Amino acid sequence: MITVTNKTDHGGDVRLTGISKTYGSFTAVHPLDLTVPQGSFFALLGASGCGKTTTLRMIAGLEEPSSGTVFLGDQEVTHLPPYKRPVNTVFQSYALFPHLDIFENVAFGLRRRGIKSVKKQVEDMLDLVQLGEQARKKPHQLSGGQQQRVAVARALINHPKVLLLDEPLGALDLKLRRQMQLELKRIQTEVGITFVHVTHDQEEAMTMADTVAVMNAGRVEQLGSPTDLYENPQTTFVANFLGTSNLIEAEVDSKTNGDIVLKAGGAGKLVLPEARCSAPTTTGGRVLVGVRPEKISLTHADEAGEIPEGRNRITGRIADSSFIGVSTQYVIDSPVCPEFEVYAQNIDRDARLVPGAEVVLHWNPAHTFGLDAAQSLLAGTVDSAGIDEQAAV
Amino acid sequence: MAFVNWLKRNLVVIAGLVTLGYLLLPNVVVTVFSFNQPKGRFNYEWQQFSTAAWQDPCGVADMCGSLSVSLQIALWATVGATLLGTMIAFALVRYRFRARGAVNSLIFMPMAMPEVVMAASLLTLFLNMGAQLGFWTILIAHIMFCLSFVVTAVKARVMSMDPRLEQAAQDLYAGPLQTFLRVTLPIAAPGIAAGALLAFALSFDDFIITNFNAGSTVTFPMFVWGSAQRGTPVQINVIGTAMFLVAVLLVLASMVVSNRRNRQKA
Repeated sequence: MITVTNKTDHGGDVRLTGISKTYGSFTAVHPLDLTVPQGSFFALLGASGCGKTTTLRMIAGLEEPSSGTVFLGDQEVTHLPPYKRPVNTVFQSYALFPHLDIFENVAFGLRRRGIKSVKKQVEDMLDLVQLGEQARKKPHQLSGGQQQRVAVARALINHPKVLLLDEPLGALDLKLRRQMQLELKRIQTEVGITFVHVTHDQEEAMTMADTVAVMNAGRVEQLGSPTDLYENPQTTFVANFLGTSNLIEAEVDSKTNGDIVLKAGGAGKLVLPEARCSAPTTTGGRVLVGVRPEKISLTHADEAGEIPEGRNRITGRIADSSFIGVSTQYVIDSPVCPEFEVYAQNIDRDARLVPGAEVVLHWNPAHTFGLDAAQSLLAGTVDSAGIDEQAAV
Repeated sequence: MAFVNWLKRNLVVIAGLVTLGYLLLPNVVVTVFSFNQPKGRFNYEWQQFSTAAWQDPCGVADMCGSLSVSLQIALWATVGATLLGTMIAFALVRYRFRARGAVNSLIFMPMAMPEVVMAASLLTLFLNMGAQLGFWTILIAHIMFCLSFVVTAVKARVMSMDPRLEQAAQDLYAGPLQTFLRVTLPIAAPGIAAGALLAFALSFDDFIITNFNAGSTVTFPMFVWGSAQRGTPVQINVIGTAMFLVAVLLVLASMVVSNRRNRQKA
């Protein structure tokens, strides 16, 4: 039954072209193009109501797209009912059949396809998810983590071309979720099936997926590897939704061999590599300058002279600091931004770096990224996510 | 003082036993008097123990015939009302259609309407239609008033069903029919069974509506009523006791089965 997957096989590609979904006047998903290559672990990441689950359900066939097409490999499945698609889903609440035991739940898909001898396959699959002992129990007799594994086994046993996972770890506690993330990743590597995973947890997406598509308000904001998204965000939403970013408004001063020199309020000049700026840069135009908190070093103002040349610097005063073990998180009040965040590793702690101290923040210009200044600084932060959610309800 | 404490500790049990006694006493009387050997035609005073009636339960003219009529009507009314009621319940929960609100409230009319009024109106209806009163008119009437009970029971169950279960079934290659037979129906089954049992009991028991619309057909309740004018044969108690026993046995059997199932799983 198991088809050997090789890198040139495109049977498990998922191709969405111009796919959209509208409910009355509400647009859940704007026309969107997406290709998920065979054998990859792909995550759709976004706040609730951003259209990620609707997109997933359109691939599963549980939702009919308002426009566009869905291709699995070379087969168009846009109008096929779910039971005719070589795709299986792990539902958010698992949706295990309460009247059937674990064995029968897992065997369900095989039996519906008319396969008579299911015993061996089901037992192997239950062993894969380490539930061999529980075969004759009913779903409600299992713990949340076990139910989750049954849901995965029930879908995987059919060797779908694509496995869809709709927030599969949402109901588990933190520790179990970590464990299941690794478990799912292991299973995916083992079976080599394309996984499309929907989640609102950025850490989960980054841990598991090869490629992440960040969705916001029915659109894909950015698509890339977790590192790429984190290091080179293209929009303020991505910059804020994935981790934390410090964003400063600045004006383009000049350009010199691949670098853009910017003027930012009282901070003097900042340097930004042109390649890391996603916004149009004309001299005198405005861009948002971003830098991640852990890229920044803190030096006490008394030793400002010792900072090497060529680093971006901003002066400020420590407003708050919190020690969280592996790092200390500082909030710096600076002329360009009242709440500049800096995470410093606790290697050699300078005892003078306490709230009230005057400091210089400095970082390698290569860690700076530039964004279009025409967007909201707060997109993708906790505050605005709350608003999105209310709007979606 | 010790007695007061004992009373405090056992009050719940005592209250339970008293209530149970209150509920069961009539059944006990029916059972005891099925072993009576009355002197006259009326089985109202205890005379002496006898199993004569149990040995010859159909010894009274026409009684077992009426019993058979009642069982047949109850069976078909149950089948009809359960089928229709289940479909109505699914339609009301799952679909949005023009008269949904109206159907939702009108379906309870037979429950709220005084039975005797409905019986009289039904008779008017049947007479105006020129229908021949008998088995079929009784059956139609019974299906009608059982429907609302079935709908209520099934609706509650269907409403609490997670629609994702059916989506999961479809996702696992079950077509619409398979999804219904393998997932929807088994999960709704307890509600449907409850509705069916209720329908059977209501139909078997019904006197007022049946009496109006029976024509020359005689059901068991009608037979009991009729014979009560002229004398009550002990066999009536025998049938009553037997029905009670069957019901108790069914309940016990289902308890034993579910207990055993739970123990196997645990």
